[in-house]
Amino acid sequence: MLKRFALTGALVICVVGMGFATSARADANEENSLQFIQSVADKAIQSLTAKDTPKPERVKQFRILFNENFAVKSIGKFVLGRYWGRASEAEQNEYLGLFEDLMVVSYVDRFSSYAGESLVLKDARTENETTITVFSEIKRPGGTKPIQINWRVGTNGTIYKILDVAVEGASMSTTLKSDFGSIVRQKDGKVSGLIDELKKKTASLTEEMQK
Amino acid sequence: MTNDSPHRFAVGSILVFCGLLLVSGCANMPDPADGDAVAEYIQTNDPLEPTNRQVFAVNQGLDSALLKPITEVYRDTVPATARQGIQNFLANLRTPVVLLNDILQGDLDRTIETLARFLVNSTVGIFGLADAAAELGVPAHAEDFGQTLAVWGVPSGPFLMLPVFGPSNPRDTVGLVVDLLTDPFNRWASNSGQPQAAYSRAGAETVDRRAQNIELLNEVEKSSLDFYAAIRSLYRQRRAHGISNGLDVPEIQAGKDVEFTDRPKFIDEEVSRRE
Repeated sequence: MLKRFALTGALVICVVGMGFATSARADANEENSLQFIQSVADKAIQSLTAKDTPKPERVKQFRILFNENFAVKSIGKFVLGRYWGRASEAEQNEYLGLFEDLMVVSYVDRFSSYAGESLVLKDARTENETTITVFSEIKRPGGTKPIQINWRVGTNGTIYKILDVAVEGASMSTTLKSDFGSIVRQKDGKVSGLIDELKKKTASLTEEMQK
Repeated sequence: MTNDSPHRFAVGSILVFCGLLLVSGCANMPDPADGDAVAEYIQTNDPLEPTNRQVFAVNQGLDSALLKPITEVYRDTVPATARQGIQNFLANLRTPVVLLNDILQGDLDRTIETLARFLVNSTVGIFGLADAAAELGVPAHAEDFGQTLAVWGVPSGPFLMLPVFGPSNPRDTVGLVVDLLTDPFNRWASNSGQPQAAYSRAGAETVDRRAQNIELLNEVEKSSLDFYAAIRSLYRQRRAHGISNGLDVPEIQAGKDVEFTDRPKFIDEEVSRRE
Protein backbone atom coordinates (compact mmCIF):
# COMPACT_ATOMS: atom_id res chain seq x y z
CA MET A 1 0.00 0.00 0.00
CA LEU A 2 2.84 2.31 0.97
CA LYS A 3 4.51 1.48 -2.35
CA ARG A 4 1.45 2.47 -4.31
CA PHE A 5 1.21 5.66 -2.30
CA ALA A 6 4.82 6.51 -3.09
CA LEU A 7 4.22 5.65 -6.73
CA THR A 8 1.12 7.78 -7.05
CA GLY A 9 3.02 10.57 -5.33
CA ALA A 10 5.92 10.24 -7.75
CA LEU A 11 3.55 10.23 -10.70
CA VAL A 12 1.74 13.33 -9.47
CA ILE A 13 5.08 15.11 -9.04
CA CYS A 14 6.12 13.93 -12.50
CA VAL A 15 2.93 15.14 -14.12
CA VAL A 16 2.97 18.42 -12.22
CA GLY A 17 6.59 18.90 -13.32
CA MET A 18 5.67 18.34 -16.93
CA GLY A 19 2.83 20.81 -16.55
CA PHE A 20 5.25 23.72 -16.68
CA ALA A 21 6.11 22.75 -20.23
CA THR A 22 2.65 21.91 -21.49
CA SER A 23 -0.62 23.69 -21.03
CA ALA A 24 -2.25 23.56 -17.64
CA ARG A 25 -5.37 21.96 -19.07
CA ALA A 26 -3.58 19.12 -20.81
CA ASP A 27 -1.65 18.62 -17.60
CA ALA A 28 -4.80 18.33 -15.52
CA ASN A 29 -6.26 15.86 -18.01
CA GLU A 30 -3.16 13.69 -17.89
CA GLU A 31 -3.09 13.69 -14.11
CA ASN A 32 -6.79 12.90 -13.94
CA SER A 33 -6.40 10.12 -16.50
CA LEU A 34 -3.68 8.48 -14.41
CA GLN A 35 -5.89 8.73 -11.33
CA PHE A 36 -8.83 7.43 -13.30
CA ILE A 37 -6.98 4.31 -14.50
CA GLN A 38 -5.66 3.76 -10.98
CA SER A 39 -9.20 3.96 -9.60
CA VAL A 40 -10.47 1.46 -12.20
CA ALA A 41 -7.65 -0.91 -11.28
CA ASP A 42 -8.43 -0.50 -7.56
CA LYS A 43 -12.12 -1.17 -8.16
CA ALA A 44 -11.23 -4.23 -10.23
CA ILE A 45 -9.08 -5.55 -7.40
CA GLN A 46 -11.89 -5.02 -4.90
CA SER A 47 -14.69 -6.54 -6.93
CA LEU A 48 -13.00 -9.20 -9.06
CA THR A 49 -10.10 -10.80 -7.28
CA ALA A 50 -11.71 -12.19 -4.15
CA LYS A 51 -11.24 -15.93 -4.66
CA ASP A 52 -14.50 -17.04 -3.07
CA THR A 53 -16.66 -14.84 -5.31
CA PRO A 54 -18.75 -17.10 -7.57
CA LYS A 55 -18.35 -16.55 -11.28
CA PRO A 56 -21.83 -15.15 -12.02
CA GLU A 57 -21.30 -12.56 -9.28
CA ARG A 58 -17.93 -11.58 -10.78
CA VAL A 59 -19.54 -11.24 -14.21
CA LYS A 60 -22.19 -8.97 -12.71
CA GLN A 61 -19.53 -6.85 -11.00
CA PHE A 62 -17.50 -6.65 -14.20
CA ARG A 63 -20.57 -5.58 -16.20
CA ILE A 64 -21.04 -2.65 -13.84
CA LEU A 65 -17.32 -1.79 -13.96
CA PHE A 66 -17.30 -2.05 -17.76
CA ASN A 67 -20.33 0.20 -18.23
CA GLU A 68 -19.14 2.77 -15.74
CA ASN A 69 -15.62 3.11 -17.05
CA PHE A 70 -15.57 2.14 -20.73
CA ALA A 71 -17.14 4.18 -23.54
CA VAL A 72 -19.10 1.10 -24.55
CA LYS A 73 -21.21 2.72 -27.29
CA SER A 74 -18.27 4.52 -28.90
CA ILE A 75 -16.16 1.36 -28.91
CA GLY A 76 -19.06 -0.65 -30.35
CA LYS A 77 -19.58 1.93 -33.10
CA PHE A 78 -15.88 2.03 -33.93
CA VAL A 79 -15.65 -1.74 -34.07
CA LEU A 80 -18.57 -1.96 -36.53
CA GLY A 81 -16.90 0.70 -38.69
CA ARG A 82 -18.60 1.58 -41.97
CA TYR A 83 -21.34 -0.98 -41.32
CA TRP A 84 -22.73 1.04 -38.38
CA GLY A 85 -24.46 3.47 -40.72
CA ARG A 86 -25.93 0.61 -42.74
CA ALA A 87 -27.66 -0.94 -39.75
CA SER A 88 -31.20 0.01 -38.76
CA GLU A 89 -31.69 1.62 -35.36
CA ALA A 90 -33.11 -1.62 -33.99
CA GLU A 91 -30.08 -3.53 -35.31
CA GLN A 92 -27.71 -0.96 -33.80
CA ASN A 93 -29.30 -1.36 -30.38
CA GLU A 94 -29.37 -5.13 -30.57
CA TYR A 95 -25.75 -5.15 -31.71
CA LEU A 96 -24.63 -2.89 -28.85
CA GLY A 97 -26.32 -5.11 -26.27
CA LEU A 98 -24.69 -8.25 -27.69
CA PHE A 99 -21.33 -6.47 -28.01
CA GLU A 100 -21.49 -5.60 -24.31
CA ASP A 101 -22.40 -9.20 -23.45
CA LEU A 102 -19.47 -10.56 -25.47
CA MET A 103 -17.01 -8.12 -23.90
CA VAL A 104 -18.19 -8.82 -20.38
CA VAL A 105 -18.20 -12.59 -20.67
CA SER A 106 -14.93 -12.89 -22.57
CA TYR A 107 -12.89 -10.29 -20.67
CA VAL A 108 -13.95 -10.99 -17.10
CA ASP A 109 -11.25 -13.62 -16.63
CA ARG A 110 -8.43 -11.65 -18.18
CA PHE A 111 -9.40 -8.54 -16.26
CA SER A 112 -9.58 -10.52 -13.03
CA SER A 113 -6.13 -12.04 -13.54
CA TYR A 114 -4.59 -8.71 -14.53
CA ALA A 115 -6.18 -7.01 -11.56
CA GLY A 116 -4.52 -9.50 -9.22
CA GLU A 117 -1.03 -8.62 -10.42
CA SER A 118 0.62 -5.31 -9.82
CA LEU A 119 -0.34 -2.73 -12.41
CA VAL A 120 2.32 -0.02 -12.46
CA LEU A 121 1.33 3.27 -14.07
CA LYS A 122 4.26 4.79 -15.95
CA ASP A 123 3.26 7.92 -17.75
CA ALA A 124 0.48 9.76 -19.57
CA ARG A 125 0.57 11.54 -22.90
CA THR A 126 -1.93 13.91 -24.47
CA GLU A 127 -2.89 12.78 -27.98
CA ASN A 128 -5.40 15.52 -28.73
CA GLU A 129 -7.94 17.68 -26.90
CA THR A 130 -10.11 14.76 -25.87
CA THR A 131 -7.73 11.79 -25.82
CA ILE A 132 -4.95 10.78 -23.47
CA THR A 133 -2.82 7.63 -23.51
CA VAL A 134 -1.90 6.16 -20.13
CA PHE A 135 1.14 3.88 -20.24
CA SER A 136 1.35 1.08 -17.72
CA GLU A 137 2.83 -2.34 -17.24
CA ILE A 138 2.09 -5.49 -15.33
CA LYS A 139 5.03 -6.95 -13.49
CA ARG A 140 5.12 -10.70 -13.83
CA PRO A 141 6.57 -12.98 -11.19
CA GLY A 142 9.92 -14.66 -11.81
CA GLY A 143 11.77 -12.00 -13.78
CA THR A 144 9.73 -12.44 -16.98
CA LYS A 145 9.42 -9.33 -19.11
CA PRO A 146 6.61 -7.09 -17.84
CA ILE A 147 3.55 -6.81 -20.07
CA GLN A 148 3.04 -3.36 -21.58
CA ILE A 149 -0.53 -2.09 -21.34
CA ASN A 150 -1.63 1.19 -22.89
CA TRP A 151 -4.99 2.70 -22.04
CA ARG A 152 -6.65 5.14 -24.39
CA VAL A 153 -8.71 7.51 -22.25
CA GLY A 154 -11.32 9.89 -23.66
CA THR A 155 -12.44 12.95 -21.73
CA ASN A 156 -14.55 16.05 -22.00
CA GLY A 157 -12.72 17.57 -19.02
CA THR A 158 -15.05 16.18 -16.35
CA ILE A 159 -15.92 12.63 -17.35
CA TYR A 160 -13.25 10.05 -18.16
CA LYS A 161 -13.90 6.86 -20.13
CA ILE A 162 -11.65 4.09 -21.47
CA LEU A 163 -11.77 3.97 -25.26
CA ASP A 164 -9.29 1.20 -25.88
CA VAL A 165 -6.77 -1.10 -24.21
CA ALA A 166 -3.62 -2.21 -26.03
CA VAL A 167 -1.65 -5.16 -24.68
CA GLU A 168 1.92 -5.30 -26.07
CA GLY A 169 0.86 -3.09 -28.96
CA ALA A 170 -2.25 -5.07 -29.87
CA SER A 171 -5.38 -2.96 -29.47
CA MET A 172 -8.61 -4.56 -28.34
CA SER A 173 -10.80 -2.44 -30.60
CA THR A 174 -8.61 -2.77 -33.71
CA THR A 175 -8.59 -6.56 -33.36
CA LEU A 176 -12.35 -6.66 -32.83
CA LYS A 177 -12.88 -4.43 -35.85
CA SER A 178 -10.96 -6.84 -38.03
CA ASP A 179 -12.83 -9.81 -36.53
CA PHE A 180 -16.35 -8.33 -36.84
CA GLY A 181 -15.67 -6.74 -40.25
CA SER A 182 -14.65 -10.11 -41.64
CA ILE A 183 -17.92 -11.66 -40.42
CA VAL A 184 -20.07 -8.89 -41.92
CA ARG A 185 -18.28 -9.32 -45.27
CA GLN A 186 -18.92 -13.06 -45.18
CA LYS A 187 -22.61 -12.26 -44.55
CA ASP A 188 -22.85 -10.10 -47.71
CA GLY A 189 -22.43 -6.88 -45.75
CA LYS A 190 -25.47 -7.53 -43.53
CA VAL A 191 -25.22 -6.49 -39.88
CA SER A 192 -28.05 -8.95 -39.12
CA GLY A 193 -25.63 -11.74 -40.06
CA LEU A 194 -23.13 -10.47 -37.48
CA ILE A 195 -25.90 -10.24 -34.88
CA ASP A 196 -26.77 -13.91 -35.44
CA GLU A 197 -23.11 -14.91 -34.95
CA LEU A 198 -22.82 -12.74 -31.82
CA LYS A 199 -25.92 -14.41 -30.37
CA LYS A 200 -24.45 -17.86 -30.96
CA LYS A 201 -21.10 -16.84 -29.48
CA THR A 202 -22.44 -15.21 -26.32
CA ALA A 203 -24.84 -18.11 -25.78
CA SER A 204 -22.03 -20.68 -25.98
CA LEU A 205 -19.72 -18.61 -23.76
CA THR A 206 -22.44 -18.14 -21.15
CA GLU A 207 -23.25 -21.84 -21.21
CA GLU A 208 -19.57 -22.73 -20.80
CA MET A 209 -19.30 -20.30 -17.91
CA GLN A 210 -22.16 -21.88 -16.00
CA LYS A 211 -20.63 -25.35 -16.15
CA MET B 1 28.07 -28.27 -45.21
CA THR B 2 25.66 -31.18 -45.16
CA ASN B 3 22.53 -31.10 -47.22
CA ASP B 4 20.23 -32.27 -44.46
CA SER B 5 20.89 -29.20 -42.30
CA PRO B 6 17.64 -28.01 -40.75
CA HIS B 7 17.81 -24.42 -41.85
CA ARG B 8 18.29 -25.54 -45.46
CA PHE B 9 15.22 -27.70 -45.07
CA ALA B 10 13.23 -24.78 -43.65
CA VAL B 11 14.41 -22.40 -46.37
CA GLY B 12 13.60 -24.98 -49.03
CA SER B 13 10.08 -25.52 -47.71
CA ILE B 14 9.40 -21.80 -47.62
CA LEU B 15 10.56 -21.42 -51.23
CA VAL B 16 8.39 -24.34 -52.37
CA PHE B 17 5.41 -22.81 -50.59
CA CYS B 18 5.97 -19.43 -52.27
CA GLY B 19 5.99 -21.21 -55.61
CA LEU B 20 2.69 -22.91 -54.78
CA LEU B 21 1.16 -19.57 -53.86
CA LEU B 22 1.77 -18.28 -57.36
CA VAL B 23 -0.59 -20.89 -58.79
CA SER B 24 -3.23 -20.63 -56.06
CA GLY B 25 -6.58 -18.86 -55.76
CA CYS B 26 -7.08 -15.20 -54.96
CA ALA B 27 -9.75 -13.33 -53.01
CA ASN B 28 -12.63 -11.80 -54.95
CA MET B 29 -11.98 -8.18 -55.84
CA PRO B 30 -14.69 -5.82 -54.55
CA ASP B 31 -16.90 -3.83 -56.92
CA PRO B 32 -14.65 -0.94 -58.09
CA ALA B 33 -17.65 1.41 -57.85
CA ASP B 34 -17.94 0.84 -54.09
CA GLY B 35 -15.23 3.14 -52.73
CA ASP B 36 -15.55 1.99 -49.11
CA ALA B 37 -15.31 -1.67 -50.12
CA VAL B 38 -12.19 -0.99 -52.19
CA ALA B 39 -10.59 0.92 -49.30
CA GLU B 40 -11.40 -1.97 -46.98
CA TYR B 41 -9.94 -4.49 -49.45
CA ILE B 42 -6.70 -2.49 -49.64
CA GLN B 43 -6.53 -2.11 -45.87
CA THR B 44 -7.14 -5.81 -45.26
CA ASN B 45 -4.25 -6.44 -47.69
CA ASP B 46 -4.95 -10.15 -47.91
CA PRO B 47 -5.43 -10.97 -51.62
CA LEU B 48 -4.57 -14.64 -51.00
CA GLU B 49 -7.18 -14.96 -48.23
CA PRO B 50 -8.83 -18.21 -49.49
CA THR B 51 -5.45 -20.00 -49.65
CA ASN B 52 -4.30 -18.43 -46.40
CA ARG B 53 -7.43 -19.68 -44.66
CA GLN B 54 -6.81 -23.21 -45.92
CA VAL B 55 -3.22 -23.11 -44.67
CA PHE B 56 -4.49 -21.71 -41.36
CA ALA B 57 -6.93 -24.63 -41.03
CA VAL B 58 -4.08 -27.12 -41.61
CA ASN B 59 -1.88 -25.27 -39.08
CA GLN B 60 -4.75 -25.34 -36.59
CA GLY B 61 -5.12 -29.08 -37.10
CA LEU B 62 -1.39 -29.63 -36.52
CA ASP B 63 -1.53 -27.41 -33.46
CA SER B 64 -4.43 -29.15 -31.77
CA ALA B 65 -3.12 -32.64 -32.66
CA LEU B 66 0.52 -32.11 -31.75
CA LEU B 67 1.89 -28.81 -30.55
CA LYS B 68 -0.80 -27.81 -28.08
CA PRO B 69 -0.94 -31.20 -26.28
CA ILE B 70 2.89 -31.30 -26.09
CA THR B 71 2.95 -27.74 -24.76
CA GLU B 72 0.33 -28.53 -22.13
CA VAL B 73 2.30 -31.53 -20.91
CA TYR B 74 5.45 -29.38 -20.85
CA ARG B 75 3.67 -26.69 -18.86
CA ASP B 76 2.07 -29.11 -16.42
CA THR B 77 5.15 -31.25 -15.73
CA VAL B 78 8.16 -28.93 -15.93
CA PRO B 79 8.34 -26.52 -12.96
CA ALA B 80 8.06 -22.80 -13.71
CA THR B 81 11.65 -22.03 -12.69
CA ALA B 82 13.00 -24.68 -15.06
CA ARG B 83 10.81 -23.37 -17.88
CA GLN B 84 12.08 -19.87 -17.17
CA GLY B 85 15.66 -21.20 -17.35
CA ILE B 86 14.96 -22.86 -20.72
CA GLN B 87 13.36 -19.67 -22.01
CA ASN B 88 16.40 -17.63 -20.91
CA PHE B 89 18.81 -20.14 -22.45
CA LEU B 90 17.00 -20.07 -25.80
CA ALA B 91 16.83 -16.28 -25.75
CA ASN B 92 20.58 -16.13 -25.11
CA LEU B 93 21.21 -18.41 -28.10
CA ARG B 94 19.24 -15.96 -30.26
CA THR B 95 21.27 -12.96 -29.07
CA PRO B 96 23.80 -12.99 -31.99
CA VAL B 97 20.93 -12.57 -34.47
CA VAL B 98 19.45 -9.78 -32.33
CA LEU B 99 22.88 -8.12 -32.20
CA LEU B 100 23.32 -8.33 -35.98
CA ASN B 101 19.96 -6.64 -36.49
CA ASP B 102 20.61 -3.97 -33.84
CA ILE B 103 23.76 -3.11 -35.85
CA LEU B 104 21.98 -3.26 -39.23
CA GLN B 105 19.32 -0.88 -37.87
CA GLY B 106 22.05 1.50 -36.74
CA ASP B 107 20.77 1.40 -33.16
CA LEU B 108 23.90 2.00 -31.08
CA ASP B 109 22.16 1.93 -27.68
CA ARG B 110 20.52 -1.40 -28.38
CA THR B 111 23.73 -2.82 -29.87
CA ILE B 112 25.56 -2.07 -26.62
CA GLU B 113 22.67 -3.47 -24.57
CA THR B 114 22.63 -6.70 -26.55
CA LEU B 115 26.41 -7.12 -26.32
CA ALA B 116 26.35 -6.49 -22.59
CA ARG B 117 23.45 -8.91 -22.15
CA PHE B 118 25.22 -11.65 -24.08
CA LEU B 119 28.44 -11.26 -22.09
CA VAL B 120 26.74 -11.08 -18.70
CA ASN B 121 24.20 -13.84 -19.31
CA SER B 122 26.67 -16.28 -20.89
CA THR B 123 28.98 -15.96 -17.85
CA VAL B 124 27.22 -14.74 -14.70
CA GLY B 125 23.98 -16.16 -16.05
CA ILE B 126 25.61 -19.60 -16.54
CA PHE B 127 25.25 -20.28 -20.29
CA GLY B 128 22.25 -18.01 -20.42
CA LEU B 129 20.10 -20.04 -18.01
CA ALA B 130 19.57 -16.98 -15.82
CA ASP B 131 18.76 -13.56 -17.20
CA ALA B 132 21.27 -11.81 -14.95
CA ALA B 133 21.39 -8.78 -17.24
CA ALA B 134 17.66 -8.13 -16.77
CA GLU B 135 18.19 -8.19 -13.00
CA LEU B 136 20.88 -5.55 -13.52
CA GLY B 137 18.40 -3.38 -15.38
CA VAL B 138 19.13 -4.29 -19.01
CA PRO B 139 15.99 -6.11 -20.13
CA ALA B 140 15.76 -8.25 -23.27
CA HIS B 141 14.44 -6.92 -26.56
CA ALA B 142 13.63 -8.74 -29.77
CA GLU B 143 14.94 -7.87 -33.22
CA ASP B 144 14.92 -9.84 -36.45
CA PHE B 145 15.74 -9.25 -40.09
CA GLY B 146 12.08 -8.68 -40.98
CA GLN B 147 12.11 -5.72 -38.57
CA THR B 148 15.40 -4.51 -40.03
CA LEU B 149 13.91 -4.53 -43.55
CA ALA B 150 10.94 -2.55 -42.21
CA VAL B 151 13.28 0.01 -40.61
CA TRP B 152 15.04 0.27 -43.98
CA GLY B 153 11.68 1.15 -45.53
CA VAL B 154 10.76 -2.15 -47.19
CA PRO B 155 6.94 -2.52 -47.22
CA SER B 156 5.45 -5.68 -45.70
CA GLY B 157 3.55 -6.80 -48.78
CA PRO B 158 0.29 -8.76 -48.44
CA PHE B 159 -0.57 -10.99 -45.51
CA LEU B 160 0.70 -14.55 -45.82
CA MET B 161 -0.12 -17.62 -43.74
CA LEU B 162 2.93 -19.89 -43.89
CA PRO B 163 2.52 -23.61 -43.27
CA VAL B 164 3.85 -24.51 -39.79
CA PHE B 165 5.52 -21.08 -39.33
CA GLY B 166 2.16 -19.27 -39.16
CA PRO B 167 1.24 -15.64 -39.87
CA SER B 168 3.72 -13.66 -41.95
CA ASN B 169 4.14 -11.56 -45.10
CA PRO B 170 6.76 -11.54 -47.89
CA ARG B 171 9.05 -9.15 -45.98
CA ASP B 172 8.95 -11.17 -42.78
CA THR B 173 9.33 -14.43 -44.72
CA VAL B 174 12.57 -13.12 -46.22
CA GLY B 175 13.52 -12.01 -42.70
CA LEU B 176 12.83 -15.49 -41.33
CA VAL B 177 15.05 -17.09 -43.99
CA VAL B 178 17.88 -14.60 -43.35
CA ASP B 179 17.58 -15.12 -39.57
CA LEU B 180 17.89 -18.90 -40.04
CA LEU B 181 20.91 -18.50 -42.34
CA THR B 182 22.75 -15.94 -40.22
CA ASP B 183 22.28 -17.75 -36.92
CA PRO B 184 25.75 -18.87 -35.73
CA PHE B 185 24.37 -21.83 -33.79
CA ASN B 186 22.63 -23.23 -36.86
CA ARG B 187 25.80 -22.72 -38.91
CA TRP B 188 27.87 -24.47 -36.29
CA ALA B 189 25.37 -27.35 -36.13
CA SER B 190 25.41 -27.99 -39.87
CA ASN B 191 29.15 -27.36 -40.33
CA SER B 192 30.10 -29.78 -37.59
CA GLY B 193 27.72 -32.44 -38.88
CA GLN B 194 25.37 -32.23 -35.91
CA PRO B 195 22.08 -31.17 -37.44
CA GLN B 196 20.19 -32.82 -34.57
CA ALA B 197 21.40 -29.97 -32.31
CA ALA B 198 19.66 -27.43 -34.51
CA TYR B 199 16.52 -29.60 -34.75
CA SER B 200 16.35 -29.93 -30.98
CA ARG B 201 16.75 -26.22 -30.56
CA ALA B 202 14.02 -25.49 -33.13
CA GLY B 203 11.72 -27.93 -31.33
CA ALA B 204 12.43 -26.38 -27.95
CA GLU B 205 11.87 -22.88 -29.34
CA THR B 206 8.54 -23.91 -30.84
CA VAL B 207 7.25 -25.40 -27.57
CA ASP B 208 8.60 -22.50 -25.49
CA ARG B 209 6.94 -19.92 -27.73
CA ARG B 210 3.66 -21.83 -27.73
CA ALA B 211 3.79 -22.03 -23.93
CA GLN B 212 4.29 -18.27 -23.70
CA ASN B 213 1.25 -17.59 -25.87
CA ILE B 214 -1.05 -20.32 -24.67
CA GLU B 215 -3.35 -18.18 -22.51
CA LEU B 216 -3.59 -15.33 -24.99
CA LEU B 217 -4.33 -17.63 -27.93
CA ASN B 218 -6.88 -19.66 -25.96
CA GLU B 219 -8.66 -16.47 -25.07
CA VAL B 220 -8.63 -15.01 -28.56
CA GLU B 221 -9.89 -18.30 -29.96
CA LYS B 222 -12.64 -18.41 -27.35
CA SER B 223 -13.87 -14.84 -27.75
CA SER B 224 -13.40 -14.16 -31.47
CA LEU B 225 -16.03 -14.78 -34.11
CA ASP B 226 -13.47 -15.22 -36.88
CA PHE B 227 -10.24 -16.53 -35.34
CA TYR B 228 -8.33 -16.14 -38.62
CA ALA B 229 -9.23 -12.45 -38.96
CA ALA B 230 -8.35 -11.83 -35.30
CA ILE B 231 -4.94 -13.54 -35.69
CA ARG B 232 -4.24 -11.57 -38.87
CA SER B 233 -4.92 -8.31 -37.06
CA LEU B 234 -2.96 -9.31 -33.95
CA TYR B 235 0.06 -10.37 -36.01
CA ARG B 236 0.18 -7.03 -37.83
CA GLN B 237 -0.22 -4.99 -34.66
CA ARG B 238 2.45 -6.96 -32.81
CA ARG B 239 4.86 -6.56 -35.73
CA ALA B 240 4.21 -2.81 -35.93
CA HIS B 241 4.86 -2.64 -32.19
CA GLY B 242 8.14 -4.56 -32.56
CA ILE B 243 9.31 -2.51 -35.54
CA SER B 244 8.78 0.78 -33.68
CA ASN B 245 10.37 -0.81 -30.57
CA GLY B 246 7.09 -0.21 -28.77
CA LEU B 247 7.22 3.56 -29.26
CA ASP B 248 4.36 3.97 -31.71
CA VAL B 249 0.88 4.06 -30.32
CA PRO B 250 -1.57 3.50 -33.15
CA GLU B 251 -4.18 6.16 -33.75
CA ILE B 252 -7.49 5.02 -32.33
CA GLN B 253 -10.47 6.44 -34.16
CA ALA B 254 -12.98 5.74 -31.41
CA GLY B 255 -11.84 8.90 -29.61
CA LYS B 256 -13.38 11.18 -32.19
CA ASP B 257 -17.02 10.81 -31.27
CA VAL B 258 -17.13 9.76 -27.66
CA GLU B 259 -20.48 10.14 -26.05
CA PHE B 260 -19.83 11.15 -22.50
CA THR B 261 -22.89 9.83 -20.84
CA ASP B 262 -22.88 9.33 -17.14
CA ARG B 263 -23.68 5.93 -15.79
CA PRO B 264 -27.18 5.14 -17.06
CA LYS B 265 -29.73 5.22 -14.25
CA PHE B 266 -31.32 2.00 -15.36
CA ILE B 267 -28.06 0.06 -15.25
CA ASP B 268 -28.91 -1.86 -12.08
CA GLU B 269 -32.22 -3.07 -13.49
CA GLU B 270 -30.40 -3.81 -16.72
CA VAL B 271 -27.83 -5.90 -14.90
CA SER B 272 -30.38 -7.92 -12.97
CA ARG B 273 -32.46 -8.42 -16.11
CA ARG B 274 -29.50 -9.84 -17.98
CA GLU B 275 -28.17 -12.14 -15.29
